[in-house]
Amino acid sequence: MTDVVAEMTATVFRVHVAVGDRVSVDDPVVTLESMKMEIPAVAGVSGTVSRLDVAEGSAVEEGSVLAVIEPDPA
Amino acid sequence: MAHTWSPEIEEIDRRAARAALMGGAEKVARQRAAGRSTVRDRIAELLDDGSFEEIGALAGFPSADEHGEVDVMPANFLFGLGDIDGRRVAVGADDFTIRGGAADASIMAKQVDSERLAGAMRVPLVRLIEGTGGGGSVKMIESAGYTYVPANPGWDHVVANMSLVPVVAACMGPVAGLGAARAVMSHLSILIEGQSQLFVAGPPVVRHATGADLDKEQLGGAGVHARSGAIDRVVPDEAAAMAAIRQFLGYLPSSVHELPPVGAGCPPAGDAEVLADLVPRNRRQPYKLKPLLDAVFDEGSVFSTAGYGASVYTGLARLDGHPVGVVATDPYKGATMTPNGADALTRLIDLCETFHLPLVSLTDQAGMMIGLDAEKAASIRRGARAVAAAYQARIPMAEVIVRRVFGVGGAGQINRHRYSRQWAWPSGDWGSLPVEGGIEAAYRRDLEASDDPDRLLKEIQDRLEDARSPFHTAERYGVQDVIDPRRTRDLLVRWVRDAYRVLPELVGPPSLGVRP
Repeated sequence: MTDVVAEMTATVFRVHVAVGDRVSVDDPVVTLESMKMEIPAVAGVSGTVSRLDVAEGSAVEEGSVLAVIEPDPA
Repeated sequence: MAHTWSPEIEEIDRRAARAALMGGAEKVARQRAAGRSTVRDRIAELLDDGSFEEIGALAGFPSADEHGEVDVMPANFLFGLGDIDGRRVAVGADDFTIRGGAADASIMAKQVDSERLAGAMRVPLVRLIEGTGGGGSVKMIESAGYTYVPANPGWDHVVANMSLVPVVAACMGPVAGLGAARAVMSHLSILIEGQSQLFVAGPPVVRHATGADLDKEQLGGAGVHARSGAIDRVVPDEAAAMAAIRQFLGYLPSSVHELPPVGAGCPPAGDAEVLADLVPRNRRQPYKLKPLLDAVFDEGSVFSTAGYGASVYTGLARLDGHPVGVVATDPYKGATMTPNGADALTRLIDLCETFHLPLVSLTDQAGMMIGLDAEKAASIRRGARAVAAAYQARIPMAEVIVRRVFGVGGAGQINRHRYSRQWAWPSGDWGSLPVEGGIEAAYRRDLEASDDPDRLLKEIQDRLEDARSPFHTAERYGVQDVIDPRRTRDLLVRWVRDAYRVLPELVGPPSLGVRP
C-alpha cells in the first residue's frame, strides 16, 4: 500500500508533492489526465514521500509506480 | 452391551477417526506452520457450526503393518453437504497434507461425485482447491506401464453446473493444471494474497519449456491475478475467503430453478443528501463511487464481483432486501471501459441472467478503451461481447444515468431497444461522441475562415453547451425522466418490487449455456 500506482494509462497532469513531503491517507499525490478527465492518484497510507518517479507531462502505463510513501511508524 | 455387528460398528468409528487425522500429525503441523488451515478446519469455518455431512470418508488407500494392523490413508479430496446461513450447499475440498493434493493420491470418483451431487440435488457448489493438476506425477506412467488419452474427470458435470447451480472456487494454495481449470469454471473465483497462486503450469515446467525463471508468486500470485481477469476477487486471508463465499451465495438462489432469496431490507448506510453534490460540474473532475453505492443500496449489502474491471465496477447488492446486479463506474480507476472491464460486465450480466437477478446500471460510460494497447487486446470484440450479453439478457433492467453515455460501449451498457426504467441525473451528458475534441473537426472550415478563431470556438462551445442540457433531451423524450439525484434509492426500491413480479416466468435454465 506504500506504492502510489497509476490505475490507467495516462499522462501526468499535476504533481502535488516533492520527496520529503508529508502526506495523509487519501491526499492526492499526482493528478493524471486520461480521456479528458483529471484523475487523482491518492496516498494509501500516511507518511513521507520517499520516492517520486514522474514529472508533469510524463506518460505512465496502467500499474506503473508513480511515487513511494514511507509509512509513519505504527 | 455387545451387538451382532459391534465389531464392524467399532471399525466404522476407528476408520472415521483415522480419516480425521488427514495426512498425519507431521504433515498437518507443516501445513499449519505455513500459515494455512487444514481442509477440515476450512470446511468448519465455511459452514454453519456442525452442519458438515461428509460423503465417502472411508475411501482411501489401505496398507497393513507387520502386525497386520490396517491403516487407510484417506483420499486427498473431501466432500459432502452442509449449510451456509441455514441453506444447503455442497462443498468439495483438496487435502494438501496428503501428497500435496496431487492426483495420484486421489480417488477421482469422489471429485466427480461432488460435481454430480451439486447438480443432481440443485445446491450451490463450493470448491476449496489446493493442489496440482490431474496428471499427478510422471512416475505414474512407469508404475502403470501405459499412457492414456486424457479426458478431464467429471468435466461434463463441471460444464453443466455453470448453467445449473452457483459455483464458487477458492484457490487455497498453489493451484495448477486441472485444479486451475476447476478454479475458473465458476461464477466467482477467489485467490488469497501471499498464500495462493494460479497457473496453467508451475515454475519448474515453465522454466523447462520457456526458460523464464519465475517463482510461483511471480508467475501466478496476487500481483498477476489482481488484474488478469482469471480471478474475480483477491482477498487478504482464509477467513476473508470464507466470508466472501458465504456473502456471495447469499444473493443467489440455490439453483436456476429457484428465485433469488429476498430478505428483510434495511436503510442505506449513506445519506441521500450527498447525491445532490456528488458529481462535480467540471466534467474533468471525478466523483467517488463509494458514497454513491452507500446512498443507494441497503447498508452492508454491496459486494464486488470483479477486482480486474478497472473503471468498470460490477457487483451485487440489495434494494430493500431484494438481490440485484450492479454495474457502475469508478472514475478514480479510469474513464473508459477496458477490455477486462468489458469481460467483468459480460460475466456480471450472465450471472444475473442465469440466476434471475434484476440489473441496475448506474451509468457513466465514456465508451470502450481506445489506443494501440486497447486494439491489441481486442477492445472492440470484448466490448461488443458485453453489449451482446446485455441484449441477450431477459432480466428486468433499470438505469440511472449518473454522468456520461458515449460510444458503442455507453450505448450498449443496457439494452436500450426494449423497455427498461430509466432516470437521468442533471449531470447526465450524452451523445454519439463527446463535444470536446469533436468541435475542431466538425467546424474546421468555419474556424479556418474566421479572423478570430478563438472567439468563434468559444461561441460554438457556448451554443453546444446549451444544446447538450439533459432538459432538451427530456423535452424530446430521449430520456424517460430527469430526477433529483436524492430520489434515486426510493425510485429503485419501487422498481425492484415490480421487477421481482416478472422473475417467476424466467425461472429455469438459461437459453445459452454459461461459459466461464
